[in-house]
Amino acid sequence: MSDIKDATLTPEIQRLHKGMDEVWGNPKGLRALTVVNHTSIGLRFMVTGAIFFLIGGLLAMLIRTQLAFPDNDFMSPEIYNQVFTMHGTVMMFLFAIPILEGLAIYMIPKMIGARDLVCPRLTAFGYFCYLFGGLILASSLVLEMAPASGWFMYTPLSSGEYAPGPGSDFWLLGITFVEISALSAGVELVVSILRTRTQGMALHKMPLFAWYILAMALMIVVGFPPLILGSILLELERATGMPFFDVAGGGDPVLWAHLFWLFGHPEVYIIFLPGAGIVSTLIPVFAGRPIVGYGWVVAAIVIMGFVSFGLWVHHMFTLGIPQLALAFFSAASMLVAIPTAIQIFVWLSTLWLGRPRMTLPMLWIVGFLVIFVLGGLTGVMLALVPFNWQVHDTHFVVAHMHYVLVGGMLFPLMAGLYYWLPQVSGRMPSERLGKWSFWLIFLGFNVTFLVMHWTGLLGMRRRVFTYDTAMGWDLYNLISSVGGFMMSIGVALLILDIALHFRFGKKAPQNPWGADTLEWAMPKPPTAYNFVSLPEVETRHPLWENPELSRTIYEGRHGLANIQHGRRETWGSDALTGKLRETVHLPSNSWWPLFSALALAAVCVSLLVRVYWVGAVAALVAVVLLLRWSWENGAHPKMAPEASLEPTEPPLHYRTMNGPGVWTMSVSHLANGSLYLSLLFGWFYLWTVAPEWQMPETSPLSMPLLVLAGAALTLGTFVLAGRVRRLRRRNDAGLGGGMYLTGVLGALQSALIGVVIWQAELAPTESAHDATLLVALIYVLLHALLGAILCLLQGLRVGYGLVSAEMPLEPVVVLRLWHYNLVVYWTLFVAIWVMPTLLGGA
Amino acid sequence: MKHLFSLTHPIHLVGGLILWAVWFVAIYAGLSVACSMAPPDPQRGMLTGINIGVGLSTLVTTLLLLWLARAGLVAARRTSVLRERYFAHVSAGIYLFSAGGTLFVGYPVISLPPCL
Repeated sequence: MSDIKDATLTPEIQRLHKGMDEVWGNPKGLRALTVVNHTSIGLRFMVTGAIFFLIGGLLAMLIRTQLAFPDNDFMSPEIYNQVFTMHGTVMMFLFAIPILEGLAIYMIPKMIGARDLVCPRLTAFGYFCYLFGGLILASSLVLEMAPASGWFMYTPLSSGEYAPGPGSDFWLLGITFVEISALSAGVELVVSILRTRTQGMALHKMPLFAWYILAMALMIVVGFPPLILGSILLELERATGMPFFDVAGGGDPVLWAHLFWLFGHPEVYIIFLPGAGIVSTLIPVFAGRPIVGYGWVVAAIVIMGFVSFGLWVHHMFTLGIPQLALAFFSAASMLVAIPTAIQIFVWLSTLWLGRPRMTLPMLWIVGFLVIFVLGGLTGVMLALVPFNWQVHDTHFVVAHMHYVLVGGMLFPLMAGLYYWLPQVSGRMPSERLGKWSFWLIFLGFNVTFLVMHWTGLLGMRRRVFTYDTAMGWDLYNLISSVGGFMMSIGVALLILDIALHFRFGKKAPQNPWGADTLEWAMPKPPTAYNFVSLPEVETRHPLWENPELSRTIYEGRHGLANIQHGRRETWGSDALTGKLRETVHLPSNSWWPLFSALALAAVCVSLLVRVYWVGAVAALVAVVLLLRWSWENGAHPKMAPEASLEPTEPPLHYRTMNGPGVWTMSVSHLANGSLYLSLLFGWFYLWTVAPEWQMPETSPLSMPLLVLAGAALTLGTFVLAGRVRRLRRRNDAGLGGGMYLTGVLGALQSALIGVVIWQAELAPTESAHDATLLVALIYVLLHALLGAILCLLQGLRVGYGLVSAEMPLEPVVVLRLWHYNLVVYWTLFVAIWVMPTLLGGA
Repeated sequence: MKHLFSLTHPIHLVGGLILWAVWFVAIYAGLSVACSMAPPDPQRGMLTGINIGVGLSTLVTTLLLLWLARAGLVAARRTSVLRERYFAHVSAGIYLFSAGGTLFVGYPVISLPPCL
């Protein structure tokens, strides 16, 4: 089929396209910074990620140069420590996760038949957080102040005593900033996939790629908060002396290892799942048949997502944990081979039963299969405790990790790059240059890392600065270094290929690979609004079953083909059935995301240079900016110039009680809850395990005040829930008063918690017990304040006519926060007051 | 709310694994606390109250998951809606996997003394 852009359109449809361009189009010049469109932001994520990949690759080459010969003095040990730490950090946090998020942000709305993600401004905010966090972290390299404790920053090596410079602070603050970006992308990807699929696309009919990204996003939401908490605690320890990880003060350095790997192990799967999603998308296309066992793959994805959270201790087998726990986690680690194997067999069966075409993307897929299976096998070896003890912290582990990550992520990513390149540029990739690049990278990779298994088995520790020739590792290291440079030449060719592609690539036909999914049903390069009309899709293979769909979409023959109202709209559908529920009104371009991220960057830099008063002011500014941003929402005149709809269209989302905002708040609380549970884990862990932990005979916290604060919270929740119940009956009498009353109760709760903290006279720099109590109380205090402020703002919005029986969504969203606060507050009360009081000092 | 309990609902895609995860966390945390509060005499080998407790909870969880797997298959047979049948089948498979996973991870308790 020729390009749909060549189709002859009626003047009416031409006007529709022009109108869509005006409403959805990206501004130029400085105002390009206000763009929120998922296509643009997704590409920005990917390009920035690719630049960080080159920086990480350059650091890898420095490492290989240093290790190429024995007794080499190419780098000093201090610089070498910084280089290997930053190589791992950049590759894991600034390349792998963001580039995959970028791909998901770019691709998901196109695949599910939506015009954008559900929170476009959050997408832009996430990008700026990533960019600024990445720049702050990368600047440490230029300043020769980079972190030097390894990419997992084990305490006490990364603590103030052994890492007194600002290197660890760069890591902790920069990575936490970047993780805000990951979380924001995770939350909105989950909600977008569940709630904005096009009409008729039931959950079991959506593309497998969306299943993979759904699992990845949920894993980000649950998996990242433990590290965020760990980073906050370690930074508090470094900045103020709170001894969370210091044995003498009642802390325990192993707590950091737990918090890090609670994040770190799922992260491997967070990286692998989108890679596997690309493979599951491409193999059926190039085999020319549907995937064998769609249900098996879905089951494998779900199992992998869960089981990966039960493996974190296998990174800590040598830390001194009970024998039974070793066996326990060893078994769990082997268990994850089952869902992985299911997928491998599904892919092989699909190729077997189809008629595979060996195109350039397929070459990368074959490379993936070879490398990833090898990495998986050494993974099962490492799950066995005795073997793990033998090779722990050797180059064997480095080789295994690279086989899994490069095989499981980089090769599928390259396959996806070549596969979707025509979608982005409208041009076909060069087979010749692409194949040269593939073979150099594939061979270079194996020369580097296959040999590294033997280097490790011969006893070479990872992270050693140099080695003596008597160790017998010379030849292996030299071969690895030659392989590394071979791989670099391959990457250089790949960059050249991509650069030439945009200038010289042949024009691509409409659906160049004969794909089945909706991203190929739009003009190339894609328009800012993706689809001028949104189709009804009730099959897993829309373009195979209806090849004319691209044309009919382009001719505006499907839903929401109206732009006279000037709104950015997409469908809101039922999470399960795909039936239409709302018309989601999406926000347009805005400066708020950039300004908010800039304020947070100022907080980050102020903490880094330890000018705390500037940090406090910047934090306050960030809060004000975020609240101001939230004010332009729902029925605000800047959002909705008019609220008219076609008679056949479902209501605008803010005129319902269950719009995507409710889902966004709920998924955010998954992340928030994960952080809270990590804090509880830290409390109980230190209580039961830390050798010098001191639990006082009586709690320093005032029970009557804690109960009073809880009563205020409980009463506030009841008042708010009552108002929401009335709204469900279309009754908004007393709504504003109810919101103000709830806000006042929230303020009362905040004040009481403040008094509890003041009265307790905690000594957080002297004992981990008091430090943990203080952090827990500040956590509930911040939530109480947020609950109060949001309710007071809701009261104001009722007064301005922005919230009413006709527009009832926002109180429902705020109620979710109050419910969360209620559960958190009372469980925390049990954990920090009731249990210590009942069990006594220990 | 009622339809969430029906085994044809996609919530059951994660039901088995949530049970597995709860069991996993309870066992790991319980083991740590029990070893911290009342470590048994190492001479007793594997015949300790801790092992018996962990073994029993493994057995009960496995049986519950197996029963849910079977119930999922029955629910799949009873419904004529394709979507519901699909989710019931996949959920039954995941319940079965979770049962196997519980048994596989819990198995070490019958062969190893705790708290060492």
